[in-house]
Amino acid sequence: MERDSSLLDDYVLSLTDSPRPRVCFLPTASGDADHYVVRFYRRFSPGCEASHVSLFRRDQGTGGVEDDLATHLLAQDLIYVGGGNVVSMLGAWRAHGLDDILRKAWRKGVVLCGPSAGSLCWFEEALSAFHGAPRSVAGLGLLPYSNCVHYDAEPERRTEYHRFVGDGMRAGFAAEDGVALHFRRTRLQRVVSSRHDGRAYRVEPTDGGVVETPLKVSHLGADPLPAVTSKCEEPAPEPSSASRRPHRRGARRPAGAQVSERRPVTPEPLPA
Amino acid sequence: MSVRGDVRIEDRVIFAMGGGGFTMEPNNPLLDDFVLSLTSAKEPRLLFLPTASGDTTAQINAFQARFAGRTYIAEHLSLFRLRAAKRPLEEIVLDQDIIYAGGGSMRNLLAIWQAHGLDRLLVQAWQHGTVLTGLSAGAMCWFQGGVTRSSGPPEPMPGLGLLDGSLTVHADGEPERLPVWLAAVRAGTLPGGWALEDGVGLLFAGRRLQRVVSSRPGAGAQRVDQVAGELVRHRLQPELLGEGPRGALGGTDDAVEELRRVHRMRRGIAGGRD
Repeated sequence: MERDSSLLDDYVLSLTDSPRPRVCFLPTASGDADHYVVRFYRRFSPGCEASHVSLFRRDQGTGGVEDDLATHLLAQDLIYVGGGNVVSMLGAWRAHGLDDILRKAWRKGVVLCGPSAGSLCWFEEALSAFHGAPRSVAGLGLLPYSNCVHYDAEPERRTEYHRFVGDGMRAGFAAEDGVALHFRRTRLQRVVSSRHDGRAYRVEPTDGGVVETPLKVSHLGADPLPAVTSKCEEPAPEPSSASRRPHRRGARRPAGAQVSERRPVTPEPLPA
Repeated sequence: MSVRGDVRIEDRVIFAMGGGGFTMEPNNPLLDDFVLSLTSAKEPRLLFLPTASGDTTAQINAFQARFAGRTYIAEHLSLFRLRAAKRPLEEIVLDQDIIYAGGGSMRNLLAIWQAHGLDRLLVQAWQHGTVLTGLSAGAMCWFQGGVTRSSGPPEPMPGLGLLDGSLTVHADGEPERLPVWLAAVRAGTLPGGWALEDGVGLLFAGRRLQRVVSSRPGAGAQRVDQVAGELVRHRLQPELLGEGPRGALGGTDDAVEELRRVHRMRRGIAGGRD
């Protein structure tokens, strides 16, 4: 839900194969902020069956979905998780059993997506730098990697992520604002961006260090999308990061987003 | 950050409100005045935790409207917008004279506190002598259990257990809560405890109930225990804070009325007014 672009939203909707997808918004990480819920409906209600679940307003009858959460969420084509504080969100989710429901939704083939906290939550480990010293947060673990978002927004993000991966955090993916990582099952399918210069990286530990490999990013506004291979191979890394542009500065941008889908094609053991 | 040791158990203070204070009584400051009177600090530092509401701006604004300028520091801690917090959580929580928890979802409140380790810090703050207070979810959380409507229908759930027994709130304003609580106490799902109407607060010194106070005339409270499978209920008569509207608690004392008549008469004689 970038303010100035619907490219990422359009992309994730295209993954649902539905002319009028059922899309449910979870604004938990923002404390169910009203303005965020309004923004969601503005963006998604024209073309979708849009709904939201508020875990803070359920007693007042303004919690969006009032009936059984599991039934509702499992019937969606897309679940869109809003940004905010990932630790608060995961705590509230667990208290309401939403973590299990979302795992089930993923297995069932519901497309899961979200920016910032809505990206970090799907991974095994996440670098949260929301407050104070950055720390590792355990996500839902659907994707057996680590994740770092806002990679370009703050210069210390990259340094810290490298430090954590060097110190034993599992290998993973870093995305700049406006860039989304599209996974099928647990494999990275595509990296797409709403911006012409959006970047994403694979970050892995090596002997005595950390290696950062730039990933091929498709600009949604311009590039034709590369075909998604049925073998779910990772996109080829770009040969060099030498031409990397300097960090962009300025107003806060919407977060790096992440898209995760799992089609029930062939049963495959899930990561623990 | 001041390093403070533990205080004696009887000097640990919790004030639990069934409903009231700045978020529910914008025109009635009696309970919040009482909260401020509970600290001996000359320049009290007051922290508001709006967690149970999802850190709504409405609650934060109401807090500032009530307390700004009345304490040395009146700040809030948002666990959804932590970026605004400049100090580590430990330093923020352990450096307060009063910590005030707002109402909302008890389930979310405790889950989010736990996720950030705030539950442990709040126990520490209490042990150090910080006054803990709050209303609704922010009151029930200090007990062994309460009744939450976090998922819609009311249901019992455990609290932090600093205080023995359980608490149910809004006994008048949300009448569907009380029967669920009574059933839970009868069944032994929750220990016996207190049911508070809006405007009533319980003051605890350590784990002992010291006072029952109210900001509203006629607001009541009860103590309920399960004895041999039956509920034993005792009405508690709260002290009305401040003067209260005339006719409070079944009418002002005759002697007070008499005194007021005398005062009015004297003013009339002396100044020719009234």
